[in-house]
Amino acid sequence: MSQILKREVVYAITGIVTILMLVEYFFFPESQTWAEMIRTWGIIIYNISLGLGAVRLSMAHSMSVQRRRENWQYSAVLLVALVVMTLTGLAGYFTTGLQTSNVIYNWLFVNVYTPLGATLYPITGFYIFSAAYRAFRARNVDAALMLIAGCFVILSNAPAGEAIWVGFATIGEWFRFTGQVPGMRTFALVGTLGMIAYGFRALLGKERGFYAGGGEE
Amino acid sequence: MPYPTATLDVIGLWTGWVLMLMIYSYPLYKENPVYRFAEHLYIAVMLAVSLTVNFSNVMRMCITPLMQGDITMIVPLVVGLMIYAMLIPEYRWVSRYPIALLVGAGFGLGIRGSIGPNIQDAIVSTITRPTDGGAMAWINFLYIAVGLVCSVLYFLLTYEHSGAMQVPTRVGRLFIMVALGAYFGNTVLFRFTMLTGRAQFFLQVLKLIPM
Amino acid sequence: MSFLANIDRRVFYWILFIALMVPFLNPIGFPIKIAENTRDLYEGITGDSVEPGDVWIINFGYGVSAWSECHPGVTVCAKALLREGAHIILIGPHTDYELTYNHLLETAKEDFDAAEYGVDWVFLGYITGQEAAIAQLASNMRSVYPTDHFGTPLDDIPMMQNVNTWHDVSGVLSSDTGDWGGYFLTMWQEAYGVPMAQIGIAMLGSTGIPRWLAGNYFGMSVGSRGGAELEMLIGEPGDAIIAMDSISVSHLLIVIAVILANVGLLVERGRGS
Repeated sequence: MSQILKREVVYAITGIVTILMLVEYFFFPESQTWAEMIRTWGIIIYNISLGLGAVRLSMAHSMSVQRRRENWQYSAVLLVALVVMTLTGLAGYFTTGLQTSNVIYNWLFVNVYTPLGATLYPITGFYIFSAAYRAFRARNVDAALMLIAGCFVILSNAPAGEAIWVGFATIGEWFRFTGQVPGMRTFALVGTLGMIAYGFRALLGKERGFYAGGGEE
Repeated sequence: MPYPTATLDVIGLWTGWVLMLMIYSYPLYKENPVYRFAEHLYIAVMLAVSLTVNFSNVMRMCITPLMQGDITMIVPLVVGLMIYAMLIPEYRWVSRYPIALLVGAGFGLGIRGSIGPNIQDAIVSTITRPTDGGAMAWINFLYIAVGLVCSVLYFLLTYEHSGAMQVPTRVGRLFIMVALGAYFGNTVLFRFTMLTGRAQFFLQVLKLIPM
Repeated sequence: MSFLANIDRRVFYWILFIALMVPFLNPIGFPIKIAENTRDLYEGITGDSVEPGDVWIINFGYGVSAWSECHPGVTVCAKALLREGAHIILIGPHTDYELTYNHLLETAKEDFDAAEYGVDWVFLGYITGQEAAIAQLASNMRSVYPTDHFGTPLDDIPMMQNVNTWHDVSGVLSSDTGDWGGYFLTMWQEAYGVPMAQIGIAMLGSTGIPRWLAGNYFGMSVGSRGGAELEMLIGEPGDAIIAMDSISVSHLLIVIAVILANVGLLVERGRGS
């Protein structure tokens, strides 16, 4: 019985929901009410599940502080900042319905979250630059084609490219509107076919990757 | 927006500037405690924002309607909380139920929506002959048609890429490399635009350029 | 050329960082050519394409890190739609959606100050749940958004009184960094034929241009370059045009770096043979 609850019932739920979404769209629009209900539940469940990462992270960093592991001080900073900002945000929400109505939360949101969020991701720009002179070498025909296409697209994206030679923009445009189209359409096409195949395998219970976190069988 | 004048706003602006330099101390100097501090601070702030925003959304979509009499909202609330069973090893299997619902909805919606734009429309657009544009339009049309067929053959892994398959799959690989090169070119624009934004902010806070 | 590989990479990072700042201090003003996909986007949201009273959805599917890429294009589109008398629904799937909304109110200040909240635009707020949320938005908006971001029930908002499904929406502009445009494509454009355009990051230009060519998108703005082109079309230079010189310098540096690396490779091969 427990094995049925842990496995077969789970696959059945996946299958029923998948089929309901397909049936609503392709065959019976009358089933829209059920499909809407499931989708609304799905949105709420997804929202609730987003807290899991925060809980896991908090547990890991709390353990780090408790056991005074290496660099535990950073974990302490993380936990203090997390608690302060969460509590102030919730305080703002429960008083006015908006988290940002709390002055401390709003200040941290605007002056800490924004610059840090805007700064961390662009670091990859530096790495692309160092990779350009170290690793982007045309050692064979494939790499040469890739680099040629890349350079022309780069020069067509930058207004300076056209200012240097109008051909850069013309050829770059060709790569953007024609050159890359077969490859990009292929990725979309085979990706969709793969997703459909993976979906049917999941319905038949042959794919268990996304249940891996659920323990053995 | 003009340069702020209120004290708290000015302090906030300079705090952001200092935090930016703390992050950039890593690539421009080396890994150091200052960078680590800023990195952990960002993770904390990002998590806190995510928690509060999602909490308020759950309140809006589920708890408030439940309090107003919609009993069916108990189901997603309970099923959603089941995901936290993942934290308890002996009850980890309970978390499969919310995952099953999400995966099922995702598959169903994904399958029904993806076939049109990714397969049907792509193929129709590829085989639709040009109506104007002269010789170049026809060259482009043939390029895309041949390229699509060869590239798709490259991903056909059921058959060995030898014999009759060798040339088309090799050609398909070249088409794919061109696409990846163009993708790299666009990636450069994306990454450097973000970096440019930070360079602009650096100068704006110092009042070297207008905000 | 192998000496390049031996130089500390931090030297190059500093060169890049300083080079990015110089054009802001000494603007050059390279001319910007407008691409066909951007022109199609602009023509799709102006003139005869939009009637007063039409309801459009603008999706802020980008966070603060992508402001410089996506926000100029969104600003221009919001301005254009408001000037045509269209009504705008603003939604955001990123947790920092509120920052982006406030930033839009600053960058398009004159147009939003002249418009009235609840009549000309509404900010519904946060949305999450991937395809399910966007599919549900098409069939029943009130189940996803019982209230707007500020807690007002949708039935109490003038412009939302007759708006609840895809039937009531004239078009969608999705500005995002990845998935959300795809969800609108599959759940709105493909399913119900709602006109849609993408104001995406540059990387989405690779996946989005084939869709524009196939007719799935009526237009497409590619990254900050697309934003600059839109600013030119509306005749109001903004952040994207200002940043173009700096972007040009960075791109030239990348190409020079690639060329030097390959010249070095040729020299090494010549020595080897």
